[in-house]
Amino acid sequence: MSVKESELNQEPPCTSSLGNYLWSDPPQEKKWADCVHCGMCLESCPTYEQSGEEQHSPRGRVYLIKAVAEGKLNVDEHFADPVFSCLDCRACTTACPVDVDVGGLIEEARGQIRQAIPLKGWKGAVNKFFLHGVFPHPNRLHTLGDLLRFYQKSGLQNVVRKTKLINIMPQHLMELESIMPEVKGSVRKNNPSVIKTKGETKNEVSLLTGCVMDVFFSDINQSTINVLTRNGNDVSIPENQTCCGALHVHAGDREMGRKLAKQNIIAFEDADKVIVNAAGCGCMMKEYSELFRDEPEWEERAKVFEEKVVDISKYLYDTGYEKPKAMINTRITYHDACHLAHGQGVRKEPRDILLDIPGVEMVHMPNADRCCGSAGIYNITNPEMADAVLKSKMKNVPEGVEMISMGNPGCMMQMALGVQKYGRNQKIVHTVQLLDWAYQKEEGDSNDVSHKN
Amino acid sequence: MMSVIRINTTDKHIIHLAAIVGGTKSILYKKADLLAYDCDGFTIHKHLPRAVVFPKNTEEVSKLVKYCSEHGLPFLARGAGTGLSGGAIPVNGEVIISMVRMKKLISVDLENRRAVVEPGFVNLKLTNSISDRGYYYAPDPSSQYCCTIGGNVAENAGGAHCLKYGVTTNHILGLEVVLPNGDIIEIGRYGVLDEPGYDLLGVLTGSEGTLGIVTKITVRILKNPEGKQTVLAYFDKVEDGSQAVSDIISAGIVPAALEMMDKTAIEAVEAAAFPVGHPKDIEAVLLIEVDGITAGIEEQINQILEVCKKSNVREVRAAKDEEERGRWWANRKTGFGAMGAISPDYLVQDGVIPRSKLPEILRKIAQISEESGLRIANIFHAGDGNLHPLVLFDARKPGEIERALEAGSACLKACAEVGGTITGEHGVGIEKREEMWFVFKEEEILAQTNIREVFNPDNLLNAGKLFPTPGRCVEIKKEMKV
Repeated sequence: MSVKESELNQEPPCTSSLGNYLWSDPPQEKKWADCVHCGMCLESCPTYEQSGEEQHSPRGRVYLIKAVAEGKLNVDEHFADPVFSCLDCRACTTACPVDVDVGGLIEEARGQIRQAIPLKGWKGAVNKFFLHGVFPHPNRLHTLGDLLRFYQKSGLQNVVRKTKLINIMPQHLMELESIMPEVKGSVRKNNPSVIKTKGETKNEVSLLTGCVMDVFFSDINQSTINVLTRNGNDVSIPENQTCCGALHVHAGDREMGRKLAKQNIIAFEDADKVIVNAAGCGCMMKEYSELFRDEPEWEERAKVFEEKVVDISKYLYDTGYEKPKAMINTRITYHDACHLAHGQGVRKEPRDILLDIPGVEMVHMPNADRCCGSAGIYNITNPEMADAVLKSKMKNVPEGVEMISMGNPGCMMQMALGVQKYGRNQKIVHTVQLLDWAYQKEEGDSNDVSHKN
Repeated sequence: MMSVIRINTTDKHIIHLAAIVGGTKSILYKKADLLAYDCDGFTIHKHLPRAVVFPKNTEEVSKLVKYCSEHGLPFLARGAGTGLSGGAIPVNGEVIISMVRMKKLISVDLENRRAVVEPGFVNLKLTNSISDRGYYYAPDPSSQYCCTIGGNVAENAGGAHCLKYGVTTNHILGLEVVLPNGDIIEIGRYGVLDEPGYDLLGVLTGSEGTLGIVTKITVRILKNPEGKQTVLAYFDKVEDGSQAVSDIISAGIVPAALEMMDKTAIEAVEAAAFPVGHPKDIEAVLLIEVDGITAGIEEQINQILEVCKKSNVREVRAAKDEEERGRWWANRKTGFGAMGAISPDYLVQDGVIPRSKLPEILRKIAQISEESGLRIANIFHAGDGNLHPLVLFDARKPGEIERALEAGSACLKACAEVGGTITGEHGVGIEKREEMWFVFKEEEILAQTNIREVFNPDNLLNAGKLFPTPGRCVEIKKEMKV
C-alpha cells in the first residue's frame, strides 16, 4: 500500500528508507546525532510547559523521531500526535547546548506522516483547499480577499455577528473571525513593478509580498516599501513570486513546498537581496536547501538564494537608515517572533530601530521570545494548546503599554486575539509600520512648517 | 466515578489509576507515549513503564501510591528526568508518578527567609521569582534551567556554587512526604534546622526516591550577595591548574565556585552553542567566582590573580562585565550537553577526591582512557574535589557501551583508591550500584537497606536503585584487593 501511495505522489518508492520511515526525504540522522538527552530544552518548550509530558517536549520528540528510524515505533497516529503538537517555534534550538535542529526534524517527520497517513474528511478538504487551492495562487487569494472585504464592508459581517449566525462556527474560528484585519488593497496590484527611491539610489532590492500578507496586511507591505525607498532603496516586486511554502512544509506537504520554493528561486534569480517582512516566510526561505537534499542542482541554487534572503529589520540595521525626527510619544513593548529570534537570530535589530524613534519608550516584556501560539496555522489546527500558550503569553505583556510591536503577521493576528480575549487594550503593530509612521509624521511636520512659511 | 473514564485499554489497573487522577488527560499508557519515558538523563539502560500518571495534589499522590502498594505494582516518582544516574528509569516496568504538574510556588516568606514549593517547581524559577526582591535559592545544578526541586531533594543535588553554600540538604527545612503505604507525613514542620528526634530530613534528602515521594518542600532562601566577580585562568599544565586550586583554598579564600575543565571538555564547549573562545592548546581552564560584601571582593580577586600567576598561568583575568561573566557561565553550565558536539553519546561519572589528589587522579583517568580506547573529558567542581569524567562513546558501535561502563567504573575505583568516593551529587541510581562496594562494607550497606525496610518494606517504590544486588560483594571485594 505504501508503494502505491508513493507512486501516486510520483516519488521514487523507498529509495532511501530509514528504519520505519518508508519514503524519501526522511528525518536526518545527523540532526539528532548530537542530542544526548540532557533535557536543557524542556523548559523552553511551550507545549511541555502546558502538558508536562515528555513526548510533547523537544527531547521527547527527537527521541521518538529517532525511535522510528531505529524501527522501535511505527509512523502512525500515535507518533503523529507529538510530532504535530509541536509549534515548530525553535525555542529549543536556542536553549540546546549543541543547537539540535528540532524544527527541521519535526518538518521532515511530518513529511513522512502525511505520506503514510494522508489527511481525510473535512480536515483533508480544508487543508487541500487552502494549501493547494488558495495560498499558491495570488489571484485566488485576492479574490478571497475581495470577498472578505465585501463581507466586512457590506454590513454582512455585522449581520452575521448580530444574528448570531456566526455561532455555527467552532469557538476558535469565531474568535479568529472577530480579529480578522480589515482587508485593504494589494501592493502588488497597486504598485509598479519597480518603485524608485526619491533620492539617490544606493541599493536595489526585491520584496517578497507574501500570500496572506498582501491580502490582510498590505499596509505593512506598503510601509515596508515606504521605509525602503526612504532609505535609498529601489524596490522591485518580481511578478512570478509566490507563497513561500512555510505553511505547506509545516503541515508536512514538502512536495508542494518544493514546488513553491523552485518558483521563488526562479522569480528572485536576478535579485541582490530578497527583503522579507514576515518572520515565518524569511525563516522558511533561509532553509530552502533543506528541501532539496535529493536534488543537488536545486540544493545549490537554494543555497545561493538563502544568502539573499534578509528580514527587513536586519536589512535596515545592516545597511543603515535615517533616524526619524518626528516624535511618536508612546510606551511600547516588543514581542520576538519565534522565526525571527530563534529561527534567524534577529533580536537586537528591531529593538534598536524602535528605540531610534524619538518619543518611543520601550518596556521589557518577560519571556519576550516565548511563542504566542500562532505558529502558522497551529491556532487553527490545535486551538486548545494554542490558546493555553497565548494565555501564558498575554500574562507577560506589561501593564500600561499602548502598543506591542513585532515582525510577523501570524503573531500579529494571534496577539490581537489575545488582546481582545484577555481584556487588554494594546494596539498591535509591525516594527516597520511604526518607523513608517514616524517618517510620515516627519514629512507631515515639515509640510506643516512649509505651510506656515 | 469510574464510569466516566473512557479509556481504550483492557488493563484494569490503568483504568483505576486514571480514575484517581481524574481522567485520560492525566495518564499515559500507549507505547508511543511511554517510549519517551524509558530513560532519563542516563540513557544506557532503558525500560518501558507500565503507565505514567500526573497527579495534581498530595491526595492524588497518596491514592496512587496506596493503589500501587495494595496491588503489588512497582512504582516510582519522576521530576524533569534530567538525572544522570538513572534514578527515574522504570527498570521493573513501574508506574511512573510524574510530579511535573505539581509545580506551584506555594509561598515565600522573606522575613524568615524560606519558601514553600511543590516538587515539580523548577529550580531556577525559584531564584527568578524572588530575585527582584534581592533573594535567591543557592543550590544550582547545571540543569537548573529545567530540573525540579523535588528531583533535587531525591538526589541531594549539588552545583557549581555548592563549594561555599553547600548542597541541597543544607537548604531543606521541611518536607511533606507520601510514604510507600500512602500515608502522608510532614517532617521539619517548624522550619528549624535542628528538630527533636531523628534527622529524617537528612535521611530523606538524597534517598533517591526509595523511601517516599516528596509532595511539598520548604527551602531556605538567601539574600543576594552584594557583589560578585569571576576570574578566568588558562593553564598549560593540569598540574599548575590543580596547584592553583589548592593554593586559593589554602590562602583562606572561600570562592563561591571554583570550576575546572580539561582540554577535551574545552574542545566540546567550544564546538557547541555557547563558545567563548578558549584557546585550544591549553590543558586546563579555571573559572573562579567570589561573592559577598563588595568591599572585600577586589582584594580577593587580586589575591586569586597572584596565586594563579605563581602557578605559571598562561593568561588570567576578571570578567569585564556581567555580560562576559554570563557567557563564561553559560559555556560551563552547558558543558555536559556540549559533549554532543564531539561524540554521539556520553557517560558522565561523578567521583569525589581529596583536592590534593587532583593531578594524580587526572593521570589515572588519562590512563583509563587510553586502555579503553575511549576519549574522556573532565569537567569538575575543583574546589570541592567533585570531578565529572565524561566517557565519550558511540552506542551504535558494538561493545562500546560496555567499554564505556567499564571505563566509568574504573574512574570511580580510582577515586575510591585515593581516599575519595563514587558520587558527589548525581546519585547512585542504577548506574553506580555495584560501585557502592568500593566505599562500603557489607554491614554498612545492610545498615542502610535496613532503613529502607522501615519506610519501604515491600520494596515496590523505586526498587533496584541505590544499593548493590546482594551476593555480588564477594567478587567485587576480591577485585578491590587485587
